[in-house]
Amino acid sequence: MAQTTRDLLVDPMVDNNPITLQVLGICSALAVTSSLTVSAVMALAVTLVTGFSGFFISCIRNQIPSSIRIIVQMVIIASLVILVDQVLKAFAYEISKTLSVFVGLIITNCIVMGRAEAFAMKNPPVASFMDGIGNGLGYSLILLMVGFVRELFGAGTLFGVTILPSVNNGGWYVPNGMLLLPPSAFFVIGLIIWAFRAWKPEQVEKREYKIQEAEAH
Amino acid sequence: MSDVQPTAPKGPIGRFLALPPDSTPKTIFVAVALCLFCSMIVSVAAVSLRPVQEANSLVDKRKNILEVAGVYEPGMNVNDAFGAFEQRILEVSTGEFSDAISVEGFDDIQSANDPELSRELTNDIAGIGRQPNFVTAYLLRDEAGELDKVVLPLWGYGLWSTLYGFVAIEEDGNEIFGLQFYDHGETPGLGAEVDNPNWKSQWKGKKLYNEEGELRIAVQKGTPQADMIDHQIDALAGATLTSVGVDNLVKFWMGEQGYEPFLARLQQGGL
Amino acid sequence: MGARSFFDRLEPHFTNGGKYEKYFPLYEMVESFVYTPKTVTKAAPHARSFIDMKRIMIYVVVATIPCIMMAFYNTGFQANAAMAATGFEPSGWRAAVLSALGIGFNPDNVFANMAHGFMYFLPIYVVTLVAGGVCEVIFSVIRGHEVNEGFLVTSMLYVLILPATTPLWQVALGIIFGVVIGKEVFGGTGKNFLNPALVGRAFLYFAYPAQMSGDTVWVAVDGYSGATALAISASDGYQTLAANGMTWWDSFLGFVPGSMGETSTLAALIGVAFLMITKIANWRLVAGCLLGMIAFSGLLNIIGSDTNPMFAMPWYWHLVIGGYAFGLAFMVVEPVSASHTNMGRWIYGALIGFMVVMIRVINPAFPEGMMLAILFANIFAPLIDHFVVQANIKRRAKRYV
Repeated sequence: MAQTTRDLLVDPMVDNNPITLQVLGICSALAVTSSLTVSAVMALAVTLVTGFSGFFISCIRNQIPSSIRIIVQMVIIASLVILVDQVLKAFAYEISKTLSVFVGLIITNCIVMGRAEAFAMKNPPVASFMDGIGNGLGYSLILLMVGFVRELFGAGTLFGVTILPSVNNGGWYVPNGMLLLPPSAFFVIGLIIWAFRAWKPEQVEKREYKIQEAEAH
Repeated sequence: MSDVQPTAPKGPIGRFLALPPDSTPKTIFVAVALCLFCSMIVSVAAVSLRPVQEANSLVDKRKNILEVAGVYEPGMNVNDAFGAFEQRILEVSTGEFSDAISVEGFDDIQSANDPELSRELTNDIAGIGRQPNFVTAYLLRDEAGELDKVVLPLWGYGLWSTLYGFVAIEEDGNEIFGLQFYDHGETPGLGAEVDNPNWKSQWKGKKLYNEEGELRIAVQKGTPQADMIDHQIDALAGATLTSVGVDNLVKFWMGEQGYEPFLARLQQGGL
Repeated sequence: MGARSFFDRLEPHFTNGGKYEKYFPLYEMVESFVYTPKTVTKAAPHARSFIDMKRIMIYVVVATIPCIMMAFYNTGFQANAAMAATGFEPSGWRAAVLSALGIGFNPDNVFANMAHGFMYFLPIYVVTLVAGGVCEVIFSVIRGHEVNEGFLVTSMLYVLILPATTPLWQVALGIIFGVVIGKEVFGGTGKNFLNPALVGRAFLYFAYPAQMSGDTVWVAVDGYSGATALAISASDGYQTLAANGMTWWDSFLGFVPGSMGETSTLAALIGVAFLMITKIANWRLVAGCLLGMIAFSGLLNIIGSDTNPMFAMPWYWHLVIGGYAFGLAFMVVEPVSASHTNMGRWIYGALIGFMVVMIRVINPAFPEGMMLAILFANIFAPLIDHFVVQANIKRRAKRYV
């Protein structure tokens, strides 16, 4: 397990992406990606929480009793999330209104818990921090891609700036309303996973069973 | 402890720290210490940031009032601009201002849940359940000190959610200056088009009542009849039920259960 | 046998080792369209049957012919009648062609109606075939499976459930989505657990609701507002339909505004009768769907509601309005996405019947429920089969212990 810092940061971007390979953290990716600004803030929040929770959990990893380790991780993650939520409410009120409950739900984001349990409990603090940031960035990458597609084609804007003037505002573009609805992120994420696996076929899972070929007699 | 280490730790603290993490005292200690520590951090953050957050929420509300009254410009200092408004508590049923309640800290929507300050609706077309007896009215005066516009809150049920908004009415108590919602959960791209500036701009200049004083304002589809040109807002395409909801809530709040007594006073110039 | 020898001469180029080996699916598509498919079972047991995939699919297309005819007639009739009523002056290429041929826009003239409707149907159908066909061919070439007649069925059904005014680029987007997401990503015809035509239609419904729902899309005259029977019933109750010029018989025969091919219950019933006689459609699916709809709408009639007029709508109205009959005839019975066990078919059909009434009556957002009900049941079909099979295993195990 001799991973360099660079590996820890870069690996989760494509080769071991938490969303496209491990299919974790999907719920928030559905909920907050209808605009790029909100996706970006959410991505930043998750990255920070994953990084720092990894760091703090790793600091006390030798003192955490295994019987209550999940609760301990949860407490640390939850505190960080509340901090983020409070700071957003104080300094980015507009965005925190759109994110509403989803900041709170970072607590249940499987990526954060997953990295805490799988990596931070066994590795030193700095490596855990880097690993958390790396996974957060992997999550951010997908979130921004989904947000880009959904905002551009769903509303004709990027970061709120009009790119494709929509017919409701006198332009020519007919916005695709489905992309503004959360389930559309399923399709977008599905297509991204498809593209990733076409590019890197080693990510394709093995078949769980094989259809028996009939033998010719 | 049977497996005594070669270099036994000294003192009660040392012995405690050397306990294996899974022992009961250690487990309890870690749990308690962590909870104390984290709750301290969280509460410090919450308490120290609360004033900023409350200011934000107030600024947000004020910004909406400024917007609906058409005096908001991006980048302006919202609190300074808001100083132009006079806030008064309005008793809905009589249309008179009341000084029984202080404007400070009064919340229109929360008071609707207070049995002392609200009444249960029987003819509840707006779908709000309870209506407050008092609301906050925001009066905007021009430079000469004459009343220019009145901003009043209104809310009601659309398709999926309650829409909360403000309406700005000219000093004649009849002509609408603007209407907008600051909070709702309608379908993006359809019902949520109530936020579309083009759609909202239709409200400007529409009259609530006709010459005979009947409430005529309506959100409807299609080309207005001759007698409705001044009163009809074109409904949202593809969002019938949100439009019906807006229609109902406007009719409710502008009707006799709502602000009609107050607006009647305005029309007679009796403020 | 000129054509046969032509194919025989070409074939070596496309089979293994030939110059155009990669494009075998293209060759196979044309060849099997003209002749019978080449694939035969290679291993025992060798069941002999007159039925193959090509025949199934062609039968379904044949069964839609009454609906297609009604689509021509009613689309033209609605447009011509609206023009006659409003005095709207037609313009554009359709009007130019119709006047050049001296056909005119008389709503009483059957041929004029057919011709006008045909000119709405044709562009949509051509776009569907081209856009969907290109996707289908790309996938079959890359994935190495065959293009088969299933696409003809999908494209025909898809066109019939669109409003006549659908912009052509939306038609193209919808069928591409239907073919790719609804079918090809799961492995092509036979592996699609959803009905691809409905997936395309649902995509358009949620993506471009302004062009797919509301009052102005059903009649092909600009700005003319003609609400569907369902929309009127949802707001004012079915009793007011007659006042709006829609009798039960109009609805049954199909002279009401709606998607192109789904207005006529009679045409759909002829189609499903043909499919049941030829044993393409399983009668249990049809019976289950009817029973579910009748039972649940009857229950709602009894319960009643003061605020929701749809509660009072009796089953024979549910049958004739909206897409119920068309969906019943061609979507519910689709063998791939339906349940495969006999008991499962009853349950699957009943679930659709129940859901369609549920969505129409109780959900305020969607006046029509057939599309969503069928897609919903599609997803449950494998689960229903699973439980039917498990129940069967348990029952038999009990018998022999």
